Amino acid sequence: MQTIEKTSLVLRVAFRNLWLYRLKTIVIATLLGMGSFLSVVGLTLLRDVEASMQESIIGSVAGHLQIYSKKAKDDLAVFGSSFMGRQDLGVLEDLAPYRQAALQNPEVEALIPMGIDMGLLARGNELDESLDALRSSLKSGDSMLLNERMEQLRFQLQQLTTELSERKKVVQNMAELEKEEADLTQALDQIFLQRVASGDEVALQFLETRIAPISGEKQPIYLMYLGTDIALYRENFPKFKVVQGETLPVGQRGILLSNKIREDQLKNNAARLFDKLMKRKENLRIPLAGDPENQRLVQDLPRQYARILAYLDRAEAAELSQTLSESGIKGEGGDLIAGLVQQLKTFLTVDDSNFMARYDFFYKNIAPKIKLYEISPGETIMLRSYTKSGYLKSVPVKVYGVYSFDGLEDSDLAGAMNIVDLISFRELYGQMTEASLKELQEMRTQVGIRDIKAENAEDALFGEGSPAQEATPSPVAPPSSSSAVETLSIKPLIPDQFEPGEIAQGLALNAAVKIRDISKIEEVKQQLEKDMQAQGLDVKVVNWQEASGFVGQFVNIVRLVLIFALGVIFIVALVIINNSIIVGTFNRIREIGTMRAIGAQKSFVVGMFLAETGITALLGAVVGGALAVGLLAWLNKVGIASTHDVVTFLFSGPRLYPQLHPAIIVLCPIFVSLIATIASIYAARHAAHVKPAEAMQEKE
Amino acid sequence: MSVAVDIANVSKVYPLGKTSVQALRDIRLAIAEGEFTTIAGPSGCGKSTLLNLIGCMDTPTTGEVLVEGRSTSRLSDRELTRLRLDKLGFIFQSFNLIPVLTVYQNIEFPLLIQGKLSRQERHERIVGLMDEVGLRDQAQQKSNELSGGQRQRVAIARALVTSPRIVLADEPTANLDSATGERIIDLMKNINRSHKTTFIFSTHDPQVMKQATRIVRLKDGLVLAD
Repeated sequence: MQTIEKTSLVLRVAFRNLWLYRLKTIVIATLLGMGSFLSVVGLTLLRDVEASMQESIIGSVAGHLQIYSKKAKDDLAVFGSSFMGRQDLGVLEDLAPYRQAALQNPEVEALIPMGIDMGLLARGNELDESLDALRSSLKSGDSMLLNERMEQLRFQLQQLTTELSERKKVVQNMAELEKEEADLTQALDQIFLQRVASGDEVALQFLETRIAPISGEKQPIYLMYLGTDIALYRENFPKFKVVQGETLPVGQRGILLSNKIREDQLKNNAARLFDKLMKRKENLRIPLAGDPENQRLVQDLPRQYARILAYLDRAEAAELSQTLSESGIKGEGGDLIAGLVQQLKTFLTVDDSNFMARYDFFYKNIAPKIKLYEISPGETIMLRSYTKSGYLKSVPVKVYGVYSFDGLEDSDLAGAMNIVDLISFRELYGQMTEASLKELQEMRTQVGIRDIKAENAEDALFGEGSPAQEATPSPVAPPSSSSAVETLSIKPLIPDQFEPGEIAQGLALNAAVKIRDISKIEEVKQQLEKDMQAQGLDVKVVNWQEASGFVGQFVNIVRLVLIFALGVIFIVALVIINNSIIVGTFNRIREIGTMRAIGAQKSFVVGMFLAETGITALLGAVVGGALAVGLLAWLNKVGIASTHDVVTFLFSGPRLYPQLHPAIIVLCPIFVSLIATIASIYAARHAAHVKPAEAMQEKE
Repeated sequence: MSVAVDIANVSKVYPLGKTSVQALRDIRLAIAEGEFTTIAGPSGCGKSTLLNLIGCMDTPTTGEVLVEGRSTSRLSDRELTRLRLDKLGFIFQSFNLIPVLTVYQNIEFPLLIQGKLSRQERHERIVGLMDEVGLRDQAQQKSNELSGGQRQRVAIARALVTSPRIVLADEPTANLDSATGERIIDLMKNINRSHKTTFIFSTHDPQVMKQATRIVRLKDGLVLAD
């Protein structure tokens, strides 16, 4: 009762002073309002990002914990380190004892073997592909098919001639071009083509070795791959989803391509440019005009006409030319190809007004006619990797499907990973399996004693066996030799099937551990490390955040920046508050003295000043908090667009829709007010030191 | 008659730069309960210092001040504050009201700090005092809306509201015209009679001095006449 009245007395006096020094009040309230605003918005976003990131990282690759060798030279980064390249993670020679030790812990649900490494994907070109097709039709003896393929070949050769004459306009090295042109003229010769159609090996090889390289080999691309036990992996990583084809069958060697990689690196160039522009225009809402990046893409697009033309036979070309004419893009007449080239160039010249229509037209009328992706499920690709001893090793793997991580579809980081079976992984890593040892044995008997000795000598030197036919000491194979590499690799090194038991034990580089209760993560981490080390296992245990490399650290950086910004605001606010109280004391010496003289304790004066700060702070903090809620509610509707890949990863999608967390909204302004109030205790105590005798002062 | 304030051999020295100022020299003074005493003298004679010492707002360099027989020299700041609140009333030359508060709230202020009385008890006491000082109709007015004389009446009511045994007034009429000042002194004197409250006030106005039952004249920190 008394307290309430005393408080109301303090508040009345406080309010009067706040009104009296309005400007000061507004400045302080604004500062603290900013603090409150920033903390509500910042903490909300941080919390949302952390939650979505945690879900993404745990649910895609990392699991809750990761174990790997203590001898690793690099820290494990499941999404790759910030410097692209292979990590040295050491090796877990046999996973079985690790699994046993982990599963003894009642909190551990599963242990999923993994191995992350990087390899090269060998790629041919369109002419290689059609020559392959031609050879197979020659073998089959189907004359209709052969005619079709020959028509295709002639068409491609004509295109190449057109392309070459275009190149002549810009290229300096005329001699080489003219040589290529002469070769092409020869290839287009009627008699030569008849030789090809009759299966003349010399003519075919001329095409393969002299003509095919003219159309240019694509750069081999680097592929990150994760070798794992697919059954265990699918069970424990809910973010994984197959978007095309099928998942890896248990006990079969194979690869699941990342959808992101396929879209970004293995898709037809024209389609890829359309996709990129669409994404920037629609998701990021950046108009084509005026944006340098968009302009670069727009200018690149017309040059891709050849990428469309290459896949068309004469009938398809005629049909496309017709459709384009019907939609208002007319050719110049005369030659079909020259006309279509003109039409395609016009078609691929896009701006803001026609882009959407062109995009739709492309996917409706052009995409079905061309090979949209270089690699599709069902095909077998050749993965190459350097083993630890420096040998280039090639392993054929069948592409079963295309996958992506739920919510991380657009992230380059999460999409960098392709999934292979553990057996293929070990093969690429350079481990000798029973099958390859047997293979080696057979080879030795075939090749003879002398070679075996040489092979043994190398084995002894480098401590790691590598089959002789794969031992290519040169670095990346030169582009034109891709077909040569493939002929060398036709013999399968290892069977396509394997026993499930083979991957339950044996080599892995790391392993994900899934636990039952995430709140016990640190506890389990320490327990596992202790248990495994007690059993003499070489191990390092890290949590998902540590395992996610710089992506995981990114949230910590954002948090630090936020804390720093809040810290600066608070320090400025607190200095101003304290200063204003101390200055204010001078103006109010007589009033304070009077109160002290007539019996107010020092604590009353302190309370009065704290009430003033408290009210100001609460006022600012509530307004700041309310503005923050308004902003967040708006962002919740429109979303925050991700402008960078790392951000996409943090957002777990192209846009983040922040949620309103009542605890943050309520607690932040209260906390801000409390800190401000508590921090002004010093100045308030200073004010309380005014002597009661000051009441007698006459100067006013 | 018992002694309200006993000043025993009190000296007060203020440091002033490297030298010091002897404000009071060996003062011996006893003020009996119910007296209406004025402390007179030219400015700088030590009037304020003496009032501060009696009002427990300052401590003597040597000697002792006893309020109602109780020594104040060993009391803490908290105890001195409590003593001021319970035993002493203060009236200031510039009235020193709290501007934001109404007349009623200004008078209530010490009672609220004291925290002894219920709302009803406070109300009765405040209304009674407002009647007595002639401010019955101004209860809800803000103190900065009042005239000088009215403000000093509020100050008197505030000084009396805790029923102190001693009221100290520092030049209570200095900021008022002589007619108003006279009425204020009359009011104080009436209260002195009716409440038996000891009044000690400083002044240099001869008209005011005439009203006092006792005049202590100070000069250069010494009691010149009594």
